[in-house]
Amino acid sequence: MALAEVRLLAGEEALLNALPHTEAGEAARAHFTAAGLPNRRVEAFKWTDVRAALAEGIPEADGSAGLIPACLQDALVLDFAAEGFGLEGEKDQGLIIETEDSLELEGAGPLAMLAAGFAPRAVVLRVTQSQDRPVVLRRHPGAPMRVRLELEAGTRLTLIDTGLATAGLSTGLLEIEIGADAELVRYSLQNGGTGAIDLTHAAVTVADTGRYHAIALMFGGKLARAETQVLLAGEEANCLIHGAYLLSGSTHADMTTKVVHAGPNGQTRELFKGAVQDRARGVFQGKILVERAAQKTDARQNHHALMLSEGAEIDAKPELEIYADDVQCAHGNTIGALDDQALFYMRQRGIPEAQAKALLVQAFVTDVFDAIEHEGVRDWFSGLARAWLEASSS
Amino acid sequence: MLNINNLQVEVGGTHIIKGLTLQVPAGEVHAIMGPNGAGKSTLSYALTGRDGYDVIGGTATLNGEDLLDLAPEERAAKGLFLSFQYPLEIPGVPTLTFLRTALNAQRKARGEGEISVPDFMKLSRDVAKRLGVTPEMMKRPLNVGFSGGEKKRMEIYQMALLDPRFMILDETDSGLDIDALKVVSEGVNALRGPDKGMLVITHYQRLLDHIKPDRVHVLAGGRIVDSGGPELALALEADGYDRYKDAA
Repeated sequence: MALAEVRLLAGEEALLNALPHTEAGEAARAHFTAAGLPNRRVEAFKWTDVRAALAEGIPEADGSAGLIPACLQDALVLDFAAEGFGLEGEKDQGLIIETEDSLELEGAGPLAMLAAGFAPRAVVLRVTQSQDRPVVLRRHPGAPMRVRLELEAGTRLTLIDTGLATAGLSTGLLEIEIGADAELVRYSLQNGGTGAIDLTHAAVTVADTGRYHAIALMFGGKLARAETQVLLAGEEANCLIHGAYLLSGSTHADMTTKVVHAGPNGQTRELFKGAVQDRARGVFQGKILVERAAQKTDARQNHHALMLSEGAEIDAKPELEIYADDVQCAHGNTIGALDDQALFYMRQRGIPEAQAKALLVQAFVTDVFDAIEHEGVRDWFSGLARAWLEASSS
Repeated sequence: MLNINNLQVEVGGTHIIKGLTLQVPAGEVHAIMGPNGAGKSTLSYALTGRDGYDVIGGTATLNGEDLLDLAPEERAAKGLFLSFQYPLEIPGVPTLTFLRTALNAQRKARGEGEISVPDFMKLSRDVAKRLGVTPEMMKRPLNVGFSGGEKKRMEIYQMALLDPRFMILDETDSGLDIDALKVVSEGVNALRGPDKGMLVITHYQRLLDHIKPDRVHVLAGGRIVDSGGPELALALEADGYDRYKDAA
């Protein structure tokens, strides 16, 4: 990797200068000084060029962290702002919150390193008893976040993380350890303006019969990428990842996931749906790797996307890599346009074209949200999707 | 009511309807019969405004209002309804949501207020009972997993609910067994009225035993080549379409 001659762009220089002088900050600086920021020449970033997005430097942060919706009024809110980390509300028994200045990096890849580098310290959440109230991680515009979350055996937590900046560079790193028979349910929302660069990485390890269920909704930004790496380390570990991206204007959203089955009898269910219009670009990269020891793995991956305009772009790279011989694995990937016949049928019944399109797109993405157990969050996400459809069809 | 004059339609550059003239006065049901490829479905799509069915000449009006310049949904709001030969499945959209959206969109286009949810529920239940549409069917996504017969029943159910002024039935009998044909026909007959008109497109005479037309027209080679009373349908059933081969 150590290329002696990497010529850094002005934007990269500015970014490296902005990294704090912490251990992780220095590590990131050293790495990116040598390798440069991830760009289209790097396979994993060929459709999401971080260097190009930051070529003119870090955009000035703007926008708000967003309001907590009524359905989450009982939640414990952790705020990650440029000024630092804050806590809203009383925490319950069985949840320990600490901060750590120095933690070994669990995540892999440049975005994990970048997010760790920007975070002044890590917030460590330890769940020792199941939590009834959800925990919200609210990322403010231009702010870094690093959270380590440990669920002890048999515990349960619902986590919501949001990044709603209209402009600025926001980074997030989640390092998650799910103990035996523990369950994390995670709902992620990203909505950014055309000046927002939002880069997150989640590194998840799941022990025996543990469960990681995550449902994400992205509206993109100047550049938004959400990476998820799941290691199903134990036996009968369970992973469900659903994602929807709804993109218009010139926004860009990237959902990149890698699930590694290392233990036997594991199960993975992935469902991604996207709808992209105008000149927006949606990226899906999904890899499922089944190691030799992971016999009886049952893994399914589906990605289906709709191109709603000629100038829209969708790039998809589904991958299955299997080393065990007794497994059930399947994947499906389609990219298409709305069905003209269905559209005409609806218009013949009197439904105006824009409304017919919105109904069809909503019907197309809705099964992504069906996996949301929290009724309030399901309504919230569905409502956001509906609002996007109404705004983009009017 | 429906007035078509010298209509010319192209599909993908091929001239299909070549000067079709037809009047259906209010209160009447007209049948259009013809061999495969005569242009029967093309006529129904051109009248309802489907993309790709290019009207290159002639006129079509409903109650004196030009149809051809209107978008499909505007034609629907004027009261034009097409019962499809192959009704579409719309996954993810519950039947009742679809119908309420359609009904309210039409009312809005006509400057009428939205129908309230209780009124709509009552209306949909009443109509469903008449047509043997089960509550289970209404809860499912529109037409998804329906048999051919169920889809046709659902078309007539939609027609009854939307209460159009002019109805085009495109091969409504195809895929129906005799019991389903009776239910569907009764549903259609209930929608006849002095201020309504109907165009029944069919390949076979069978449907016309149940939906009795006032006039029968033969469409061949993109033109009406013969017209007559109900007895014309019986003659066609006996003799086939061969004698119109050259008329086109």
